[in-house]
Amino acid sequence: MRREGSPFRGLSTVFVKELADHLSSIRMLMLELLIVFTALAALYGAISSLRQNTAEDPFLLLRLFTIDKAPLPSFVAILGFLIPLMAIGLGFDAINSEHNRRTLSRILAQPIYRDALLMGKFLAALATIGISLAALWLLVIGLGLIFLGVPPGGEEIARSMVFLVVAIFYAGVWLSLAMLLSIVFRSPATAALVSLGIWLFLAVLWPMLAPALAQAIAPADPRYALLGLNDPATAIWTQELLRLSPNDLFGEAMLAVLSPTTRTLGPVFLDQLRGAVMGSPLPFGESVMIAWPQTVGLIAGTIVLFAFGYVLFQRQEVRA
Amino acid sequence: MRALDAARLAFALVLLSPAAHAAEAAHDIKGLYLMTDYPAVTVRPGTTTNISLRLQNYGLAPQRYQLSVAGVPSGWTATLLGGGQPVGAAMPAPDGSVALQLRLDVPAGNDLAPHTLTVKAEGQGTTAELPVAVSLAKELPAKLSVKSSLPSLRGSPKSNFDYTLSIKNDSGRNLVASFAAEAPVNFETSFTEAYGTQELSSIPIDAGQSKDIKLKVRPPTTIDAGHFPVKVTVKAEDASASTELALDIVGQPQLQISGRDGLLSARAVAGKQSSIPIVVTNSGTAPAENITLAGTAPSGWKVTFEPATIERLVPGKDGEVQALITPSDKSLAGDYQATIRATSRGENASGQFRITVGTSTVWGMAGAGVIGVALLLMLGAVARFGRR
Repeated sequence: MRREGSPFRGLSTVFVKELADHLSSIRMLMLELLIVFTALAALYGAISSLRQNTAEDPFLLLRLFTIDKAPLPSFVAILGFLIPLMAIGLGFDAINSEHNRRTLSRILAQPIYRDALLMGKFLAALATIGISLAALWLLVIGLGLIFLGVPPGGEEIARSMVFLVVAIFYAGVWLSLAMLLSIVFRSPATAALVSLGIWLFLAVLWPMLAPALAQAIAPADPRYALLGLNDPATAIWTQELLRLSPNDLFGEAMLAVLSPTTRTLGPVFLDQLRGAVMGSPLPFGESVMIAWPQTVGLIAGTIVLFAFGYVLFQRQEVRA
Repeated sequence: MRALDAARLAFALVLLSPAAHAAEAAHDIKGLYLMTDYPAVTVRPGTTTNISLRLQNYGLAPQRYQLSVAGVPSGWTATLLGGGQPVGAAMPAPDGSVALQLRLDVPAGNDLAPHTLTVKAEGQGTTAELPVAVSLAKELPAKLSVKSSLPSLRGSPKSNFDYTLSIKNDSGRNLVASFAAEAPVNFETSFTEAYGTQELSSIPIDAGQSKDIKLKVRPPTTIDAGHFPVKVTVKAEDASASTELALDIVGQPQLQISGRDGLLSARAVAGKQSSIPIVVTNSGTAPAENITLAGTAPSGWKVTFEPATIERLVPGKDGEVQALITPSDKSLAGDYQATIRATSRGENASGQFRITVGTSTVWGMAGAGVIGVALLLMLGAVARFGRR
């Protein structure tokens, strides 16, 4: 049966309702507290090490994001680890809880299409994450102003804005995945467990497995090992395998955008460096160009996973 | 004639000086004598001359002697000085003497007639007088001379011109000679010791001796080719000498290289040829011929020039060539350094250019295409699976 009218009718209603639910929920509060406190600890470490190191740096604000002080990882690394948790927390029970509470058929009895319901839930969760990330971003800039006393330049603001956008799409990938699993599994606990399993696998195990797999696919040439060098073929395979994980894509994109001296993300041959002026920052546009493939991966991953979930949801029986 | 006798006696006394003290008592001389070493002198009109006198008393009781000068021509000024100030009388002790000086101010004029001035010392009953013959001469023998063995040197505006000057003191006294050089404006001149680096403005020279000094002239580097005179003047008291030196400066081309508007940076895309305008300027003083251009760039890069040579560049003009730079398609995004040189017969200039390599936007478009495909997939799903 064909649909009549716009598929997005009722989208705003669902969006506002879901957003209000998220923002007032205890779960969201706990997730936010977790992220804010760990991020604050990382920031405190970064600020204290920056204040001891008074070397001149044209991108002092960006150093706040990337500098780490043992035992804490840097702000960006912590976000790379915790953003998936937040996205999974908001998305793992999006659809199956409606099933279990028997409210899905009631909602769909209203003049609201399934498209609008799914899209509204997705956008509301993404907006919630976006709001907390924006608040965190403002917190970083504010703390930088208070403790470092250096006003951020236009390029620093632009680069950290790119950070914000990429982080939101990174969250989008995990949110799409969590919602997909909430459509597939009727039990929220199963969906949560599976998505957390995937998250742990990609964040913790995959960085260890990828080099081993690369060694198996392209064994290192012993001649390179004799010279104490890495086999470029193995290095390229390792990197390609690592890039299957959104965590790695986010990390690489952040490296390119937040460390302006990064010139490439792949392996570098020595003759590419001959005559290169080291240590000079890249123009903003060039850094964005380097981070662009990773960003594309995150954006396309978000859309494809969402589309997959959408197809499954459309084909699902909701009245049971 | 008595005074003359006394002068002879004084001369004899000087010759016999080792035995003078013993001999003095033996001579039976008594009286008052006014003496000078040189009773006939030559002076130049327009100058002041001092003549040393001595009032000698042999065995007379001390008394006051009135001093005067007679026979002073009109216009001249004759002053008797004692102890540095004008005096009118003197009082020598028995067997003692008083040193006096006769200062003559001779006015400038053409009258070269000789004059005789008489200096008198009059006491009670005793009188001494001394005629001094003064003849006038326009030119006196040189007291100071300066010579240069190589008075004319040739070189480029960048070279140093070193002249060795020898200064000879022909006057009878030890002198301190000071020197000055008169060179065209903006030329730097300095005097140094012949074998030393210390700069000098004057040098003491013993009577009859000569000393070598070195004059170093540095022309401004922007000077045009030409012939430039330098005049060196040496002065010591009332004597002076001068000599003429010359610099022959030949022109030289001087190249400078930069981008248009002085820019030393350019943009290029990896694997693609981009042209950078290069400006070669001749800021020297002679035309530069046949300037060839070459470039050193990172490995895998191609650098050519269009045109590859500049035939002739006259001073003060600039020529523009296009450097066609193709970064290797494997070069990373960011800054690379390339050196571009212009060479013209020994004169060369080089400039370091910073070339910012950008990645091709093709991949950016491809990424946007991937997102577009994902969106189309989504729209297709919405269209295909959309239901009530």
